[in-house]
Amino acid sequence: MSSAANSTTVYGGDEINAIVLDPGSYHTRIGYAGNDFPKVLSPSYYASPADESMEAEENKKPVRRIFGEDINVPRSNYNVHPILKDSVIVDWDAALDQYSYYFKKVLNIEYNEQPILITEPVWAEPKYRQTLVENFYEYYDFPALYLAKTPTCVSFQQGRPNCLVVDVGHDSVSVTPVIDGICLLKNSMRTHYAGQFLSDQIKDLIESKKKENLSVEGIYKIKSKIPTVFPEPAEFTTRNLPDKITKSYDEFQKQKIWHEFKETILEVPERRLTSPNMQQAATLKEFYSSESHQRAFEFPTGQSLNLGYERYQLADSLFDPQVYKFHNEELAKKYPPNGGELLLKSKYDDYRPLKRVRKAESNQSTPPPVESPTKGDKSGKSDVRGLSQLITHTLSTIDIDLRASVAHNIIVTGGVSLIPQLTERLYNELTNTNPGLKIRLHAVGNSTERSNQSWIGGSVLASLGTFHQMWVSKEEYDEAGAERILNSRFR
Amino acid sequence: MSANDILDVLNVQRDESKQPVKKKQKTSNDPYGSGQRQSGMARELYNLLGPNTPPVNLPLAGTAASKASLKLKASPWTKMPFKPNKHNTDSKDVTFSHWVKGSRELLEQEEAKKPYFFEKYNVKIDIPELVDEETYEKFMEEIKEREKRIREERRQREKEKREQEARDRERREKEQKEQKEAANIGDKSDSKSSEDEMKVKSEDSPIKDKKEDKEKAESIHANDKESYNTISVDDSSSKDAKDSQESIEAAEVEPEDWSYEETQYLFELCGDFELKWPVIYDRFSYPTHRSVEDLKEQFYRICIKILENQSTSNPALIESLSAYSKPRELERKQYLENLLRRTPAEIAEEESLVIEARRFELAAKKMLIERSHLLTLLDSPQTTQQVQQFQSSQGLTNLYNNLMIIDKNQKKRQLQQQQKQVTTGNQEPVPPPIPIAASSSFKKDRSFQTHLQQYLSGLLKQSQNLNPNVKRESNAIQQLLMKRLTQKEEEAYGLFFHGTEKLNPGVILRSTQKLPGLQQKQSVLKSVNAVLQELDIPTAGGTSWKPVMPTRKTMTKYDELIRSVVALLELKKGKDKLEAEIRLIKSQRGLQ
Repeated sequence: MSSAANSTTVYGGDEINAIVLDPGSYHTRIGYAGNDFPKVLSPSYYASPADESMEAEENKKPVRRIFGEDINVPRSNYNVHPILKDSVIVDWDAALDQYSYYFKKVLNIEYNEQPILITEPVWAEPKYRQTLVENFYEYYDFPALYLAKTPTCVSFQQGRPNCLVVDVGHDSVSVTPVIDGICLLKNSMRTHYAGQFLSDQIKDLIESKKKENLSVEGIYKIKSKIPTVFPEPAEFTTRNLPDKITKSYDEFQKQKIWHEFKETILEVPERRLTSPNMQQAATLKEFYSSESHQRAFEFPTGQSLNLGYERYQLADSLFDPQVYKFHNEELAKKYPPNGGELLLKSKYDDYRPLKRVRKAESNQSTPPPVESPTKGDKSGKSDVRGLSQLITHTLSTIDIDLRASVAHNIIVTGGVSLIPQLTERLYNELTNTNPGLKIRLHAVGNSTERSNQSWIGGSVLASLGTFHQMWVSKEEYDEAGAERILNSRFR
Repeated sequence: MSANDILDVLNVQRDESKQPVKKKQKTSNDPYGSGQRQSGMARELYNLLGPNTPPVNLPLAGTAASKASLKLKASPWTKMPFKPNKHNTDSKDVTFSHWVKGSRELLEQEEAKKPYFFEKYNVKIDIPELVDEETYEKFMEEIKEREKRIREERRQREKEKREQEARDRERREKEQKEQKEAANIGDKSDSKSSEDEMKVKSEDSPIKDKKEDKEKAESIHANDKESYNTISVDDSSSKDAKDSQESIEAAEVEPEDWSYEETQYLFELCGDFELKWPVIYDRFSYPTHRSVEDLKEQFYRICIKILENQSTSNPALIESLSAYSKPRELERKQYLENLLRRTPAEIAEEESLVIEARRFELAAKKMLIERSHLLTLLDSPQTTQQVQQFQSSQGLTNLYNNLMIIDKNQKKRQLQQQQKQVTTGNQEPVPPPIPIAASSSFKKDRSFQTHLQQYLSGLLKQSQNLNPNVKRESNAIQQLLMKRLTQKEEEAYGLFFHGTEKLNPGVILRSTQKLPGLQQKQSVLKSVNAVLQELDIPTAGGTSWKPVMPTRKTMTKYDELIRSVVALLELKKGKDKLEAEIRLIKSQRGLQ
């Protein structure tokens, strides 16, 4: 830093201790800008008494909600609810309650001293964004706020203004091109073949084995256990628990098991497991079923299960979502074939011009994004896009001039991308399908950084001196109007 | 008091052997010892250490300074409120606070004057403001007219081109037909021998026919779509051409009109997203489906109009704006697309070709280098000075020395170059400069010729330069020189190749040349002279025996003669000797 060459460069940071809020569908992160890690990392769930909520509605009393790790304490009659779905807040009351809990009780901040930066997914609708902004202006007393798109934050974290952000998260897999730090919405894609999809598959797999003497219980029930291996029955004693443990609580605890399973057992196979060549598929299956590929997973009951081929098969479903067939019909219905196209609404949607001239779409260098998923439905099977197909498709829709630079800067982020061998497989598939492009993947090595990358990016963004002119105050918002601010300021 | 003092007091003999060691240590300790010697106590303590060095170099001198620094007041940092957009009146004031070094009072004074440090980075792009609706309509009219004109012109051009090509094709077809007929006639006349040919033809002809059909069909198609430009299709690249044809068609479709509102929306987006076209295209959500190229075209042409109507506009800017061409842009992108669509096999092939090409290049360079080395070997030093100075022995040694020096230098340079190449790593070998004598035109004419040829050609060139009128003539001579001549011809032209013969540089007259046969003793020469006079052979006179006409032939003959005379004389001498000896022996024996 002491060299003369650096004297001309300006240190771009200027700390104003802004708050950065990154609500994810699995975890919500809150902290100060300029820090390298969020101060608060809380599950995006809350627990509330089952019967009280009804009463509260009637009596206009605030509902008693429990946040953070306290959810895990077994209480009688407490339901666990998710706050977000697909990184979008669905339960506004709970969300605002949760944030104010952390702002006031945990971080103890004065609202009017600093602005707040909130991340939002690419697919956030204008109406949702408006609600979000209005709620934050009204509910809290922040002097200014900013909505940053998650991929933008990730690109800032990596310091790459032109990139393709591949976010393999809990609820959704999204692929977003970022140009000059601005997300291209029309080219973005999202599917649900992500962490929750894997969890459901694991659940399905385990439930199907449950009949044969496999006992799965939440860790909260276990007092003591003796390790056993699967065909043997589990040996454990249960704890004394308050009665009326709700089903949603039990589910929440089981989710944790699936999550752990996902983190410890899954591994992405080198190649696609299903192949038209039956012979090859069989040899692959044999190869991955061998002893050396087996891992044991110990359930909270002390019973451990040896898995070989399945752990590869499950992980393979990220790339080939139809490789795993659900035993449970209902779960299968939860994941209809999805090509990943986003439906974006604009204010001009209802207006149709009278005169439409035929356009030769096939020849445009910037292919117009596919307008409706119905078009893809006809083609049926090919419409299901796994991770690499999703990326390839996105790349093929980007303007030709940007394609090379974007393909050279693919950022892989999100917790589920930490499954071993995922980036290697992704790289192989992408280089095979895009021989003309030079593919380069960037993935942060640090696992905690990878799953919190968007928060860290937001933290970088909000601590920049040049960023401070971007904050939008309540007055400005009121004056310029929601639509103008949302479109031109929060880009 | 030092250890030495104590020894002195106690009258103990000092260990002389340790003395120098101690001294040395003292000097070596001096840097940090000197500062500490000022205070008495520390000095004595330090000296008690004797010859041992302190284990740790304590910052003895620093203690006082650090104490002083501790007394200093901590520099104040103040949490200052600031307005990030002080001068931007558009945005409402927001006040944030950050920590700044300095006391509050001082900072407050400064704050009033200074804008926020990072505010200077908040720059807006300068985009011409959209005009009102009326002028906009006027502009659009003008633009449309102009474009229509351009389109028509192009159409006309294309049409002409097409007609031209159609004519060409017709002619080609006719020719083909004629050829075919001719072949048929030939076949008839010589049916047996051309059976194979027929076979080939029969295989060939359906394809040809098909192609022709295709062409015809396309030409019909083209006629149908009189208004569109159709590029006449070449047989080999029919597919590519079709693509481009489509693209042009697409461009030719009358684009949807831009309403004022849409343009306004576009300008707004351009301002918001600072002309980042991919982003503008992304956010452009008007129901009319526009491509990036459409957006750019509209923006640029409206901008041109606006700027043209302004009195203070930059003509260079307008020109650069009007350089945008949508069809060309589309074409460029199409090319890029095709480039990306290559299969791995194609890419691999391309790469291997590139590698091969590079290898060829390297080989060519290597060859050049080798050739230049060869040329340096062939290079003879040029005479720049007069010949006379080398006629003395001193001049010759000088010349020799000079040549040696030059040679050495050359070798050295070559070595250096090689080393340089080694040090610079895999840099491609650069051919060393070709020596002047061997370079360019000089090289062409002289390097592979004898001196005579060189001389002659040089002379010719000179005369050429002097008199351009003789150019033709001299050219004929030059050509003659370049040719390989038969012996007879050489004789006729008086050409002679010296071969291994050593030649002196410069011009020599044969009359002054010494004959090689004359390298004899003076006495022998005298008798040779006598013999020649006896035989009545004319000489040029003087001591140097020369034929009167020193042509090459006479010279060689003369030389031969002299040699044989010398040999004869020697033989005679030997005979005389032997006779005398015989006589002597006979007289001794008393035989006489």
